[in-house]
Amino acid sequence: MPPRNPRLDQLLAAVASGDEAAFAELYQATSSKLLGVALRILRSREVAEEVLQEAYFKVWERAGDFNPDIAAPMTWMAAIVRNRALDEARRRVIRPTADETELENLKSDDEHPIAALERAEDVERLMRCLEGLEPDKQQMVRLAYLDGMSREALAKRFDRPEGTIKTWLHRSLAQLRGCLER
Amino acid sequence: MTELDDIDGLAAEYVLGTLPRDERLAVAERRAADKALDKAIAAWERRLSPMIETVSPVAPSPNLYNKIRAQIGLSQHVVSLRAREQQLARRAARWRNAFVGASALAACAVGVLGYRETSFRQDGRQYVAVLHSGTDKPAFLLTLDTKTSTCVITAVNAPPQPEKIYQVWMVNDQMPKPKSLGMLNEGEMNVMPMAPGPETDLLMNASFAVSLEPMGGSPTGLPTGPVLFTGKLVQATP
Repeated sequence: MPPRNPRLDQLLAAVASGDEAAFAELYQATSSKLLGVALRILRSREVAEEVLQEAYFKVWERAGDFNPDIAAPMTWMAAIVRNRALDEARRRVIRPTADETELENLKSDDEHPIAALERAEDVERLMRCLEGLEPDKQQMVRLAYLDGMSREALAKRFDRPEGTIKTWLHRSLAQLRGCLER
Repeated sequence: MTELDDIDGLAAEYVLGTLPRDERLAVAERRAADKALDKAIAAWERRLSPMIETVSPVAPSPNLYNKIRAQIGLSQHVVSLRAREQQLARRAARWRNAFVGASALAACAVGVLGYRETSFRQDGRQYVAVLHSGTDKPAFLLTLDTKTSTCVITAVNAPPQPEKIYQVWMVNDQMPKPKSLGMLNEGEMNVMPMAPGPETDLLMNASFAVSLEPMGGSPTGLPTGPVLFTGKLVQATP
């Protein structure tokens, strides 16, 4: 397994000791990706940027809690962004059939070099395991994780009762875990 | 196929984002105390986070970083203010101890000053005038820092006066007439910016008086109402 990019670990450690230059570099390296993550869930640049602002503030405040043995920096930061974005989405009850145009109109940017965030091998394995799911289950997991769709929204989308969706999700996640641990 | 047990199922759906809002909030709260749940959540974050590789990055607005920096700066400012308040509170406590045996008035003045003089530099010479009626608790404090040339008047215990306002005056033999420093009924007021030099000297050697005036202040530029409180500057720190 190739070592993960140690730069983000270094930056987070420096941020934990109050290093503002390190924080700026961390922001430069990760903010485009994380805005992309928030935007997929929230569908509004304005709201997504508010969430991102809060998330980076939390990163600054909590960098000392980051434990490199438990998570890669990007996993840790993405969790902060996603949790805030999902809370906001549930609070606002974003319509499941949200207008896609705003999202499509947003210019996507080239990846910052440091933000080759996850180990390529991890990405490859997850993708392979996702592809092992039936196509609609696969889509369901992606719509939930990446687009922030709730059980309710998925129930509408797949025209199934929420209870069925919950069962499908649990089975799919169990299958994923089994595949990832092989 | 393996099944997810309750905790793992909850953690998986929490990370996936599909829990209904109330369950989601309950999990967020519970994980702080529930090590097993927290660990299961971290494991699912590790398993699923590679999916964000497929998300297209979008550059944030150019001013977003400044907003974040401002928020951080503000929080640091608050933290340093809190530290400063604690430092001042400790100092005030020392002063109070040092003043045991001195008059209740002096002890009170220094105690109040200790909490209020946040704009003062520690190394500056600091003076305080306790403006009182001779019998009651101090009504106003006037504090002066000669290093920073800051002068603040604080209403500490001024009885409310409907339809009237307290006006603070500086009186000095070397001045032809009393000079108004300003009006206030509550809170505090900066009298300045004041250039160091002759004006500071005038202030240092002045007496201070508070008169009760119509709203908007004395119509004549001189005290017209009763003079209720007076005082002179004394050195507050050695």
